[in-house]
Amino acid sequence: MTLKHDVLVIGAGLSGLRAAIELAEDTDVAVITKVHPLRSHSVAAQGGINAALSKDDSWEQHAFDTIKGSDYLADQDIVETLTKRAPQTVIENERWGTAFSRTEDGELAQRPFGGAMYPRTCYAADKTGHNLLHTTYEQAMRKGIKFYEEWYVTSLVREDERICGLTALEISTGEIHGFVAKAIIIATGGFGRVYGKSTNSLINTGDGCALALRIGASLKDMEFVQFHPTTLYGSNILITEGARGEGGHLLNSEDERFMERYAPEQMELAPRDIVARSIRKEIEKGRGIEDEYVHLDIRHLGEEKIKSRLPGIREICRNFAGIDPIDEPIPVQPGQHYSMGGIHCDGTGATSISGLFSVGETSCMSVHGANRLGGNSLLETLVFGPIVAQAALEYIENASFADSSCVEDIAFRDRSKLQAMVVRSEGESPNILRKEMKKTMDNLVGVYRSQEDLEEALRTIRNLRERFEKISIGPTDIRFNYSLIRTLELENMLLLAEIITMGALMRRESRGAHWRSDYPERDDSEFLKHSLFTLMESGAIKTEYIDVTLGKFEVKERKY
Amino acid sequence: MLFRIARSKDGETISHYDQYKVEVKEGMTVLDALFQIQDKMDPSLSFRYSCRGAVCGSCAMLIDKIPRLACKTQLSTLKRDDKKNEMNLEPFPALVEAPNGWSPSDEVLVEPLPNLPLLKDLVVDMCRFYETLEKLKLWIDIEKGTEYRNQSPEERKRIDRLVNCIMCALCYGSCPINAENEDYLGPAALAKSWRFFDDSRTPNPDRFLKDAKGESGAPLCELIMNCVRVCPKGVAPGGAIRKIKEAE
Repeated sequence: MTLKHDVLVIGAGLSGLRAAIELAEDTDVAVITKVHPLRSHSVAAQGGINAALSKDDSWEQHAFDTIKGSDYLADQDIVETLTKRAPQTVIENERWGTAFSRTEDGELAQRPFGGAMYPRTCYAADKTGHNLLHTTYEQAMRKGIKFYEEWYVTSLVREDERICGLTALEISTGEIHGFVAKAIIIATGGFGRVYGKSTNSLINTGDGCALALRIGASLKDMEFVQFHPTTLYGSNILITEGARGEGGHLLNSEDERFMERYAPEQMELAPRDIVARSIRKEIEKGRGIEDEYVHLDIRHLGEEKIKSRLPGIREICRNFAGIDPIDEPIPVQPGQHYSMGGIHCDGTGATSISGLFSVGETSCMSVHGANRLGGNSLLETLVFGPIVAQAALEYIENASFADSSCVEDIAFRDRSKLQAMVVRSEGESPNILRKEMKKTMDNLVGVYRSQEDLEEALRTIRNLRERFEKISIGPTDIRFNYSLIRTLELENMLLLAEIITMGALMRRESRGAHWRSDYPERDDSEFLKHSLFTLMESGAIKTEYIDVTLGKFEVKERKY
Repeated sequence: MLFRIARSKDGETISHYDQYKVEVKEGMTVLDALFQIQDKMDPSLSFRYSCRGAVCGSCAMLIDKIPRLACKTQLSTLKRDDKKNEMNLEPFPALVEAPNGWSPSDEVLVEPLPNLPLLKDLVVDMCRFYETLEKLKLWIDIEKGTEYRNQSPEERKRIDRLVNCIMCALCYGSCPINAENEDYLGPAALAKSWRFFDDSRTPNPDRFLKDAKGESGAPLCELIMNCVRVCPKGVAPGGAIRKIKEAE
């Protein structure tokens, strides 16, 4: 069966839903998603969404903080769009019903966040993503948008220089179907699960990046992986930056507020890359606890504030660490959190393949450069969702459907591939490879990097990719074959792990979240550039650097 | 730790139970155990998952006869003979009928969430549950405007518990009325109706109350309150349904 829609959106998190809502007015749009929309990772975002709403704040200040936070690698024209549109975007979602937290006089409350010189982070307690996603999904239901829920996209299909459709596995039946479309928007989120210690949902496997790469689109800035400073020791569940925004302190084993040493002015509210490195440094110097973590202390905020502003954090601590942050400090360590890199696209989401767009964490426009500020990722999804949708609408005005044979051929190829994968009875378990990949990325491509470590990582990942060709999933069923889905996700992650490592190896400087112990300085003369990765037909990955769009904010040393 | 897991290759009914011996590590949850089984013992085992942090609502299932999220259920809290484990749920067959040979004292029993059609192993068909959201049109009819609406912290507080609902369907799977009557809209959808009705910003709140009071809605609820006991987010849907029943 071949299905047909004008525009297909892959992914039903905030970016995908917001794009689909925009499209639903004027065109036949459908959303394909591997989980029900409400299970998307946007739901896990905690701290907030930034907007310069106050008279004393301005989009320019928001833009400056974002660009400085990005270590000047963000494209300044795109940041301008992000920050200018922020207020109307937050207002729109409020009018859709999101239950934002309020000030005493009923205005939208805003809290301080890392790297921001003004408290401009709007929030709904510490469940902002949850509230925004449920509200946005409600509006998607209101529009009657067609969802293909629990369908896993197996390939994108192109015809010459344009996109013509995709193939997808219907998880409930195990069947692969072709879809013909005039335009496709990829909104599949990040690839955090390449790492073991990650705040990300288990589904964040970078499928969209891998799909796009395989048909010739480029990836950008993949070495810039954000490590969130405060993830819960043990499970690495996120402990929001809002906990520090509300006044929480970071303490080492000597009960010292060690951020004094690293960011004397901003202290705990320095940007994430700086705080994450500081925590690692303290642990390295023997001032960690059990050599593994430090304490995030919010006890002094008091029971009332913790219950009203950080109820989710309290739930998480009680459920997953068996402690109550009202009485005890929270054990935290840095963990992978966000993918600054992604599919190379312009400010409208357009990639090098006509009709193929990307938006949100899976894309790299780039608004976050080398380090994203907290509160800017939820914002990115809702600002650029409609912009990318409009660009897709304009594109399809002059585009036609390709013949369905183009997707049918690829569907046939994918069926054969999966069939072969499922029936192979001898070989290593994908689980072994998955574990080794995660361990390698955690240990060798983490907060601090070096040539030696990265070269070892690259050898290991390449070896894993070879071994992947001979794995055996073991006996499974055709319907709801999650072992197969997880194996396909692993294949995607291995490809991305190689590229992340290559990018980290190539970039012999330290900038934002990418820190090379052997090149501890930022080097603007060589590396004030975006890295670009393209998969060649030979299977080799071509790497190059392209210019950053600079603007009114002068590139300076970054101090907090 | 021993696990006894309900299996169903073709759906509809549980065909048999498989037993597995799981290697327990500190901090492990039931979801971790299911992954260990899928990875090392039986790749054919199917279950839903996503966030592993009790915010996405994917992994609702019946664990030791109590509807719970697999990711939120620590193995260390199971098999403890204390009051904390008692939920005092009003029984109905799925919560009572145990498979032959199950040893409650030392074997974790994992079964699909009741009250929804079984698709495979621990995966149930959530369509009926999701459809209640559309039947009750649980969304805001947007009014034109370019400013955000004011709302006092007190007004915001009225809906605080209700907006925390993650739509995991544990309430639906624990409700004795849902067990008997497929048409009953269930606790989550009704609680969400009250959330919109009681939100000071909602443009036409009365439609939410009217629909919630419809014949498939609040009148069917007998205030049994299993929903309140199993809710992993403290939403207390039963409390909202009581208010719907009492509201004029």
